Amino acid sequence: METDYAIIGGGVVGLSVAWGLLKRGLRVTVLDGDDGSFRASRGNFGLVWVQSKGMKQPRYARWSQQSAALWAEFAAELGHNTGLSVPLEQRGGYDLHFSEETLQDTVSKYEVLKEALGGDYPYEVLGHNALRKEEPHIGPKVVGAILHHQDGHANPLKLLQALADDVRRLGGHVLTGKTVTEVTKTDGFQISCSDSTTVSAAKVVLSAGLGAAQLGPKLGFKAPVRPQRGQVLITEKLPKLINRPSLIARQVDEGGIQIGATNEEVGRDDRVTQPGLSGLAAEAIAAYPALAKAQLVRSWGALRVLSPDGLPIYQESAEMPGAYLVTCHSGITLAAAHARLLPDWLEGHQNAPDLEVFSEDRFALS
Amino acid sequence: MNRRDLLVIGAGPAGMAAAAKAVKLGLTVTVLDEQPRAGGQIYRDVERAAKARGAMLGKDYVYGASLAAEMRESEIEYLSGSIVWAIEDGFRVSYTRDGSGAQIEADRILLATGALERPMPLPGWTLPGVMTAGAGQILLKQSGVLARRAVLVGTGPLLYLIAAQMVRAGTPPLALVETQTRSDFIRATRHLGGALRGWRYLAKGLTMLAAIQRAGVPRFTGATDISVEGQDRAEAVVFTCAGREHRIECDTVFLHHGVVPNVQAARSLDIPHEWRADQACFVPQLDGWGESPVAGVFIAGDGAGIGGAKVAEIAGRLAVLKIAEAAGRLSVKERDQRAAPLRRMIRRELAARPFLDLAYPPFAGALAPVDETIICRCEEVTAGDIRSAAKLGCLGPNQAKSFSRAGMGPCQGRYCGLTVTTLLAGANGQTADQTGYYRIRPPLKPVTLGELAAMSVTEPVGKE
Repeated sequence: METDYAIIGGGVVGLSVAWGLLKRGLRVTVLDGDDGSFRASRGNFGLVWVQSKGMKQPRYARWSQQSAALWAEFAAELGHNTGLSVPLEQRGGYDLHFSEETLQDTVSKYEVLKEALGGDYPYEVLGHNALRKEEPHIGPKVVGAILHHQDGHANPLKLLQALADDVRRLGGHVLTGKTVTEVTKTDGFQISCSDSTTVSAAKVVLSAGLGAAQLGPKLGFKAPVRPQRGQVLITEKLPKLINRPSLIARQVDEGGIQIGATNEEVGRDDRVTQPGLSGLAAEAIAAYPALAKAQLVRSWGALRVLSPDGLPIYQESAEMPGAYLVTCHSGITLAAAHARLLPDWLEGHQNAPDLEVFSEDRFALS
Repeated sequence: MNRRDLLVIGAGPAGMAAAAKAVKLGLTVTVLDEQPRAGGQIYRDVERAAKARGAMLGKDYVYGASLAAEMRESEIEYLSGSIVWAIEDGFRVSYTRDGSGAQIEADRILLATGALERPMPLPGWTLPGVMTAGAGQILLKQSGVLARRAVLVGTGPLLYLIAAQMVRAGTPPLALVETQTRSDFIRATRHLGGALRGWRYLAKGLTMLAAIQRAGVPRFTGATDISVEGQDRAEAVVFTCAGREHRIECDTVFLHHGVVPNVQAARSLDIPHEWRADQACFVPQLDGWGESPVAGVFIAGDGAGIGGAKVAEIAGRLAVLKIAEAAGRLSVKERDQRAAPLRRMIRRELAARPFLDLAYPPFAGALAPVDETIICRCEEVTAGDIRSAAKLGCLGPNQAKSFSRAGMGPCQGRYCGLTVTTLLAGANGQTADQTGYYRIRPPLKPVTLGELAAMSVTEPVGKE
């Protein structure tokens, strides 16, 4: 066997898992796509986010909290190993509201979740004036915000780069420009690529984002993932304007204001559209009127990788034991959990996290 | 919304000629152009400058005034000062004019966005006092400003043209530091036959060279190891020529080693491109009329491959013949009859091109610069940063952009794109076609959020 683990997909999810396995002394080969592949890892919004996650499934909220709590140390270790800093701020984040009704409605849902989590859900509601003290540039249309203290944001591209660097430094083999076409299992797994590269491995992790929809069934997974487009804008670099991030806008470490994101069911179309850009710009200006004068420098569209209920899927194949499906929408938030906790689950250790609720069984009746 | 038969983007020779022709054939036409006045880069501001400085700028330049007048006098909606920032299916084009956003819809689009100067990254090129020769020429055309104590560095006919104009204006450059070599010339001579058919270009070149020679401007050819030195601004050009190191003190350095198609708009429409080795750049895939695989999108002029102003003008008219035929204004027979003489003219105009491309190749030292050289000015990314990205598995520019920030700045990668492709291709042992190019997205040019928001039809409702 060439390697202990073949990881199909070299995005943030695949590399985080690879990194965690390498740290346990396992041999890992990562198969990555090319420059034109759909890459949620380079199109995402960069939040390390807890609030609003798992409103119907407290285990998901807890899993996000666990990862957020591990993030700072994870980023520091990557930075130490590679000399690349992975900027991270975890000083809380906002859910901004333009109406009292939506604010109240969200608060009542948070209360239910807080109860389910045994009270560990540290948030507070800021009215307009209290919010203005924190965010002097907030606009009059914003009636208030929910400030959740476990939220934050990171530089997702620096994370991806540090992972790409450290996985190699730890001895991982990363094969680029690969499209996996077949996976078979006899003694071990045999992975074949379109350019006739083959890799033999004891175990396989399928973390290919949207690619899992095609490959998954060949490994015995349902892999019911679909694309959902998010358009994102970024402005010229500006002096400090936004203190804490929200789902509407955040100021990145380089100074630009990043604005997002649309939720569009348009299949595998990752283009940006004028109506999409205009709608996002209007919303951002409603939140922070000073942004009206800012220059838009770049925009992009990226495809979220969504399961039917939006939660991650962690599943070992019943047909091909030793093959695992790992897929989620929030690869940045969950990066630390994937690096620190998921290897125990893959290795079947006693102290592995309980990921039962994330199995594919939940889609059985759909 | 305003819907037109044809929307032309760019009012250089291709755009001006195409628009005038299209109106004559009965099409409704709008021209969007960034500049305040028509002419493009080659005939920049020609209607004003031809009167004031025509003698210094020369006959070929003054010719552009006739194209501009023809366009202005016909029934064309000509919207100067319009910055196009998005082109979408339909076709729907978003642009900014006088500080507010607007849109036009059109059945067909002609991209006549011309060429860009090929960036010439070499040590010291970002110092104040260093600019592209084209930028120097814009100053000359628009305001008659001439640089004193200037050194021209690079290769190609434009370098001679500017030198000759400077001589005529009474401020000759201190020197021409040229990068083409004798063996380039020898390789080029196998195309001398073609060049002689395009003899007017050669004759012009020889006349310019003679004027430069008469003015006593020293010429150094086959220069290598070129750098610009200076503390806070350019103070000298340093280079090696015939085994000797030279240092020429100066205040201004003009860099130029050819022009390349401006492909940003075409790329934003996902039009496939291929690498053209003879011109060391990407060109869009087009049929014999200039139509791209994205039906209804045509490209004419230097944006389709470098051919110069006359070719651009004729190619603009040629594209309009197919556009008019598709719109039912010409029969196929009429179209083909009218096209034949245009195609002959294009062949004649292009005859000298293979000779010029080989005799004045881009400077190898600036195609793949040494590690320390900045290649993306917007984000201050070096050639070494790109090579490091390749070591981390980046096969193409879009991955390298994520890791290095090259191409993330206000120029949208316009000026570093080809360098990044060339560096990655070299580092990964792949071809330029395998390596590819930046995925170009709106905004093609920066636009304010306020302008964008004003075009929104929905009210902000907050995020789920």
